[in-house]
Order: sequence, then C-alpha cells, then structure tokens
Amino acid sequence: MTRHLPAWALAAATSAAALMPASLHAAEIEWLQWFAAENTGGFYEELVADFEAQHPDITVKLVTQPFGKVRESIVTDNAIGVGSDVLGLNMPWTTEFLEIGILEPLDDYLARDDNSFETDQLVEAPLGKIDGKTWMVPLNAFPFVMHVNMGLVEQAGFDAPPSSWDALAEQAAAISALGDGTSGLGMPFSSQPPSNGPILTFLPLLYANGGRIMDGTTPDFDNPKVVETLEFLQQLEQSGALAPGAASRTGGVDLEEFIAGRTGFLISPGVHSSSITSRNPELDYTLVRVPSNGAEAYRVHGWEIGISADSDNKEAAWTFVDYLLSPEVNARVAKASNALPGNLAALDTVRADADATLVKQMDILSGDTPVEEMRQSPKAAASWSLMTEELQSMLRGDQTPAEAASAVQARWMDLIQ
Amino acid sequence: MPTAPVPTPTPDKEDAVTPSFRLPTAAGTPYLFLLPGLVILGALLSVPLYKVVEYSLYDNVIVERNPTFVGLDNYRDILGDPGYWSAGFNTIVFTVGSVIGHMIVGIGLALLVNADIHPRARTFFRSMLVLPWIFTAVVVALNWQLLLNPFGLLNYVLDWLGLITEPLDWLGNPDLAMWSLLVISTWRGYPFIMVSFLSGLQTVPKELYEAAEIDGAGFWHKFWHVTLPQLKPVIFGVALLDLIWTFQLFPLVWLTTGGGPGRATEVLSTLTFRLAFVDFEFARAATVAVSILIISAAFTVLYLRNEARRL
Repeated sequence: MTRHLPAWALAAATSAAALMPASLHAAEIEWLQWFAAENTGGFYEELVADFEAQHPDITVKLVTQPFGKVRESIVTDNAIGVGSDVLGLNMPWTTEFLEIGILEPLDDYLARDDNSFETDQLVEAPLGKIDGKTWMVPLNAFPFVMHVNMGLVEQAGFDAPPSSWDALAEQAAAISALGDGTSGLGMPFSSQPPSNGPILTFLPLLYANGGRIMDGTTPDFDNPKVVETLEFLQQLEQSGALAPGAASRTGGVDLEEFIAGRTGFLISPGVHSSSITSRNPELDYTLVRVPSNGAEAYRVHGWEIGISADSDNKEAAWTFVDYLLSPEVNARVAKASNALPGNLAALDTVRADADATLVKQMDILSGDTPVEEMRQSPKAAASWSLMTEELQSMLRGDQTPAEAASAVQARWMDLIQ
Repeated sequence: MPTAPVPTPTPDKEDAVTPSFRLPTAAGTPYLFLLPGLVILGALLSVPLYKVVEYSLYDNVIVERNPTFVGLDNYRDILGDPGYWSAGFNTIVFTVGSVIGHMIVGIGLALLVNADIHPRARTFFRSMLVLPWIFTAVVVALNWQLLLNPFGLLNYVLDWLGLITEPLDWLGNPDLAMWSLLVISTWRGYPFIMVSFLSGLQTVPKELYEAAEIDGAGFWHKFWHVTLPQLKPVIFGVALLDLIWTFQLFPLVWLTTGGGPGRATEVLSTLTFRLAFVDFEFARAATVAVSILIISAAFTVLYLRNEARRL
C-alpha cells in the first residue's frame, strides 16, 4: 500500500502539463479599472462571470481601485513589470502613457473582420490617432453637464434653469443670497489630488464660450476666449455666487454639497446623475447643458479601455475588449453606469428604458460639438495641477484673469520643454 | 613479533579535533538565525534604497526605456530649483512646528493624566487622549477638512462668538494653511509624546517631589527643577525620534492640503510624490528622496548617539 504519491508519477504529471499546448491552458488576464468601485452592486463581477462562461479558456481577474489611484498604479505596475493586461483608461492620460510606452496600439485589432462591433460605430473622441495610431476604445461616454437643484432655483425666484452665462450669474448670486449655507455654484479648485477642478468646471464653461486651450499639441492658454471665461469666474466670485473656499474645495466635496442640497448648480460629468438621484431621491433635481455664451460645445468624457503593451496575453485581452464592445454587452454597461454606450449601435437599446436625465444627455451628445483637449497634452496631470494653482491665485485676487492666463501659458511651455 | 601499537586518541587529541569540528556550527548558528532577517532586510530595504540612489544618477528613468547616466546633474538641477528650496523651508517649518506642538501638548497632557485622581477617571482620560494616534491619516485628514471647511464647525463657532464676519478658508488660504496643518499634525502626533512622558514620569522617585514640597516648592518649581531634569534624556530621545518621523511625513499633508494652496504647504515628501506621479519626473523625484534620506540619516545618527549615551 502506497501512502505517498510516487515521485515518478508526480514528475510525469508535471511534465505532461508542461508539454500541453498553451491553448489548452486557461489564460488569465487582469483588468485594472475603477468602474466597479463606482458600481458597488456587483455588476462588473457578474459581467466577468458571464464572459468566463462564454470563454472557458480565459479567466479575468477584476482589479478594482478608486479612480484617483488607477493612473499611479498603471505607471508603477508597468515600471516593475507586473502591469495588468486590460486597462481602464481616461482620455487625458493618453499622451503621458504613450511616452512611457504603456499602451498597445489597437489599429490591427480594430481592423479585424471578426470583431463583434463596427469600429465606425464607436464614440469617436478616444479613437483619435496620436502618433498615427489608436490607443484606446470607449466603454461608455458622457458629456459634462450642469446639474440643477430646482428647489433652490425656485426659492431664489426663478422658474427655469439658466441657459446663458448672464442667467447663470444672476441665478447663482440669488441662490447664494438665500443664506443658510447655500451657494450658487461650486468651483472645486483644491490642490488635493487629483487637483483637477478646472478641467471639471472651467473647461466646460470655456467650451460653451467657443474657446480652446490647445493648438494641436501646443498649449494656447493666453487667448482672448480663455481670458473672457476667467473674467466670468472672477465676476461670479466677486458677486458672491461661488461657494466660499474654492481653494480647499475638492471635486468630491463639490458633489457631496450638491447632493446634500446646499448648492444650486454643479458642473460635472453627466454620469454623476445616478449618484445624485440614488443618494438623495428627495432632491428636486434636473440636468441641463452647461450655460452657453454663444457656442454649443461640451466637454466629452468617458470610461475608456486599452491593452498593456507588456501583456503576455494580448489575444485574450482583445477577446475581452471585443466582448465589452459588443452592442448587447455595451448596452448593459451603459445602463449600469447611467451613461451613453461607447458603441453607438447600442444606443437604441439604452434609449428604450433610459430615464429623463439620460435622455437629456443623449440630446446634448447628438446636437452639440464634443471637445476633449487634454488627451493631446504631453503632461496632462501636471498641466491641470498648474492651472489649478493659478486659478486659485486669481480667485484670491492676487492676479487678474489676463495675468492668470499668461502665467498658466508660461508654466505649461516650461513643462513641455 | 611485536605488534605495532594501535594509536589511540588521547584526550588531548580529541580536544584538539572536537573544537575544529564544532567551531563552524557553534559560531555559525547565530548567523543562521539571522539569515532570514538579513535576507528580508536586504530585499525590502537595501534593494529599493540602491534603486532610488541609482535612479537619481540617470536621465528620466522609467519614462525613458534606455535612460542615460548623467552623474550628479539631477542634484545640480534640484539644488538650483527654487521649488526645492521652498519645499525645504516648508519642511523645516512643518517639522519644527509639529515637534514643538507635540512636545508642549504631549508633556502637558502627560502631567494631567499622571495626576492622582480616581483610577477609573484616569484610565478613561488616558484611553481617550490616545485616540488620535489610532486613527489613520485618511480619517484624520477627512475629519479636519470637515471641521475647517468654510461651512464647518470651527467657522460656525467663531461666527457665533462674533470673532469673524465671514467664513475663513483655513486650508485654502496661503496665510492660514500651514498653521492649520500644524494644528492637525499636533493633534495627530501628541499621543506618542504623551505616552512616552507618562512612562518617564512614573520612574521619577516620589521622594524628590516630597523633598521639594518640604522646601516649599510649588507646581512650576517642581516641574522645572524635578520633573524636567529627570526626564531630560527621554525628552531629547523622543524629540529626535519625532523629528525623524515628522521630517518625512507624507500622507497627512498630501491628504489634507495636497501641498496647496499654490505650494504653500508643499514639503519635501509631497514634492517627491508630485515629481514622480504627477510630473512623471522619476529621476528628479529620486534625487529629492535621496536628499530626504541624507537628512533623516543625520538625525538618526544623532538619535543613536543619544541612546548609546543613555545606556
């Protein structure tokens, strides 16, 4: 009677396993993202299980981190050679990541005939070529909008949300004048990471004014449209329309203050509507276009996905990306995040049972011009961090809008050199 | 025929053989026990340390696939950067201010909780006062942000007392941010000092206080002439240790102000992180990290010398 497995049997089994064709092994791919952190209902776990059931030869390890941590993790994981195969991405990171060589070009994958989607049906902005190649695909998309607390708007004596800058200034000042801790509009210009307040609030206003901050890949911040938009911010500050403490107000606090009903307006991604309605169902809430000063353009945003250049399982990774972009799965993803699908072929499915806020976002997306400039910036995070510092200084009254614009332009030029 | 005598080992020879056989094991055993620790230290400490120093000698590492060796250029670069000196100055203000705050509050509270009161009350106060030490930096940062918010409790109380007419942005005003950070750091760090002094206070012989009382000494006389001289070695050691920790403190500053507004609270540790993970200038970040290491090492040598003197 043998009590232990004979050594020869163990060796034979090990050798046999090693000699098996690689395709018979289940490939494990890792998916690093923040999406599951923003949908805690287990949707992404179910999605992965569904994919694995359809592809028994591939297992997916879901690695979830908060949004603020993902960029840093992608860079450090890549540096030590343990990067994930499929990456959750944000458009502004594109050029930065290209310089480090993190991303795999997707053109050859997108050109395949057996993909489950049509490339020309995908939301266009993330596909735009940089260095002649496409680096990411859109999982979903949403415009930056203005969320409105109709209760405060009506208390301040108005019956409709503002659609122009003049109306915004008037209504925001009136809401701040209600007292009792209410404010018209928040400007989250804190230096705290990710320190990206101006790209959440200032850029949408600038685009609605017909302005831009880049000329191709070259910074162009000290132009008249930028100065005019900065002057508008200064006017809001001086009239008391802005919530006090912009320099210590984070994006998170800005959202929380709105959800708690203490701020009249919130400029942020449309995807926040699901957090707002689920966290405070009592809020008399709607969302509108960012008030315009002559232009109908919006900052487009979304959750993107790409493949790591160092992945050992690029084929399996693409199989998973292909699955996520198929119209049926993409529609499920869009509904789960109350956003628009990255694959527009799924639009009708999403529209079928979309709520009013999602329908409004669809109208904005279909009628206005999408803009996303930060993806062309060679150092996007450093750029917006410097912009935050100069805008803090302007709102404190330490410099004029024109001086702030010149200071940002000079510091950006230094940065790219 | 006489048989050749079979050589038998003499006790002397056995003695001579045994040590040479046992020596490696006997002398080597302690090293074998040390080996796991040394391997772990080597892997977790020496390798990263070596890599950071190496990175500081190359052109932008990690970002460049094939970085070039640039010698001390990064050091020259950093030393010529006003941002580095400004962060260095802020680090000194933050470190010295924090250590002074920790010492004053820590010693004061240690004296209070050492008082001869009901044991239950004493245990209660000791437990409550040590709480700030238990919270993570994230919890501390979030709580203080809420307290110091323009619509937070502090502004409400000051307004109610009629001391302010409009809310102050404690963490967003460059004139107030460092002071606010010092208050937060003091609150977070005093329990370590308090606990250290409390244990020191309990070693001071009661006879010294009784003798001082007989001589007519009051509270302050006893404090200056009995307590402080008796605790002098503890004070110096604990202050140095606190200085080393606070000098390289990162999470509290980063999570509370992010080094802002502007760069008003940027310290060397946050500058290192900013250079690495915001600007992707990993070589320059490594250079600043090495400068922190050198200064911390100097403090550590001072601390070890002080400890050796005490022993």
